[in-house]
Amino acid sequence: MKTVRLSRRQRALANCAPISEERISDRSMRSTVFRARSSNEFANQQSFDRAVAALVRTIPIPPEIADWFSSRDFVSPSKWTWKRMARNPAVLAVGIALAVIAGVFLLHFLDHLHDFPGSETARKLLTIAGSTRSVLLDPVSADAGTLADLFFLKHRLEHYDVPAEFADFQTIGCRVFDDDEAQRIAQIWVTEKRMQFFLFPAERDAKTGAALQFSGWRYVHQEGWVGAVTEHNGVCFMAALRGHEKDLAPYIPKAKQ
Amino acid sequence: MLGDSSKAQEVFHTTLRDAALRAAEGSLPNERFWLFRDARWRCLEASKADLQAEPLEIKEHEMTPEALSQIKQLEPTQLAIWISGAPDPQRSALALFYLDEFDYREILKLTELKISELSRLLAGGRRQFQAWLDDILPKKPVV
Repeated sequence: MKTVRLSRRQRALANCAPISEERISDRSMRSTVFRARSSNEFANQQSFDRAVAALVRTIPIPPEIADWFSSRDFVSPSKWTWKRMARNPAVLAVGIALAVIAGVFLLHFLDHLHDFPGSETARKLLTIAGSTRSVLLDPVSADAGTLADLFFLKHRLEHYDVPAEFADFQTIGCRVFDDDEAQRIAQIWVTEKRMQFFLFPAERDAKTGAALQFSGWRYVHQEGWVGAVTEHNGVCFMAALRGHEKDLAPYIPKAKQ
Repeated sequence: MLGDSSKAQEVFHTTLRDAALRAAEGSLPNERFWLFRDARWRCLEASKADLQAEPLEIKEHEMTPEALSQIKQLEPTQLAIWISGAPDPQRSALALFYLDEFDYREILKLTELKISELSRLLAGGRRQFQAWLDDILPKKPVV
C-alpha cells in the first residue's frame, strides 16, 4: 500500500478534501490534495466520498420543495472584490514585482531625463577627474586658452579649444590620453577651485558619422562631481569640479545655459 | 439533517417564510450563508423534541475499496436516515460535506467548527459509516 507522509494540518485538510476538484478554493488545500493524491488511502477516501455524494444526489426531494429551485446552484458564487484579490499571494507577488520594475524604469528615466549626446562619456570623465592626481599630468603653467595650439601641434587634435569663459584660467598641468573607446581625451587642471577641463570628441551618428550637436551648456553629475558640458565643432568641452551645480554656475554664462 | 421529509418540508417553509418577512422589512443579513445557517438551527431545534439515541460506543471500520459496491446497494433514504441519526455537529458536517455544494471553509463558517474538529468528524463519520455498511450489507470483492 502506498502511503504519503503528511503534516498534521495536511492530514486535517486531506480529511476535508472536497469531492469535486472545482471546489478547491485555496492554495493549502490544493497542495495537500496534490501531495495526498498518490496514496491509496486518499484514493479510497475520494472514491468513498464520491459514491456517498452520488447517493446523496438521489435522495428524493419533495416536489413542493424542488419547485423552489430553478437551477442546481444553491449557493451564489462568492463576490469578487479588489480586497480579496489583493490578498492573493500570487497577485501580491506580481504587484510587488511590477512596482519594482516600474521603480527601476522610473529611476532610469529620471537618470536619463537630462541626457544629451556625449553625456555618457562626460560621466566617465567625471569618474576619472575624481581619481586623477596632479602628478599624472605634464606640468604646464599657462592660460588654458593657449593649450589648443599645443594639442594641435603635439597631438594633432583639431578644434580642442577651451571656450572663452574658461580661456583665462591659469593651468597646473595637462595630458592627452585614450579612453576605453580609443577616443582622444585632453585633460587640463587649473588653479581656480582645482577645476579640471576635459575636451573629447562629440558623440557621432552611427549611420552618417556626423557629430551630434546640442546647444548651450548641460550639466552632468557623478560621484560628487559636477560637470558643465558644451559642444563646438564636433568637440565637447567639460569644466568639472567636486561640488554642486551652484559652485559651477557662476562660471557659466546664464543666457547660454 | 432530519431524516423525515415532512419535517424537512416544514423547516424549509418556515425558513423561507421568515426570509420573505425579513426581506419585506429590508432586514436581510449581509452574510452569504445566513439562510443555510438559519435552516440548520431550525433543523437542530426541530430534532430536539425527537427521541435521542443513548450515547454509545459506535463501531468504526477502516474504509475499504469494497465500500463502493456496498454503497451501490443502499437506498438513498437509508443514507439520509443514517446521517440524520448522527449527533450534531457531526450530522451538520456530514450533511453539508456530502451535499457537495460547499468548500471546507464555507462548512467551517456554517458549522462554526475548527478545521481539526471538522476533519475528526468527517474521518470518524466515514469509518462509522463503513462499519454500519459492513453490518448491514455483505461485501462484494472488487474485480
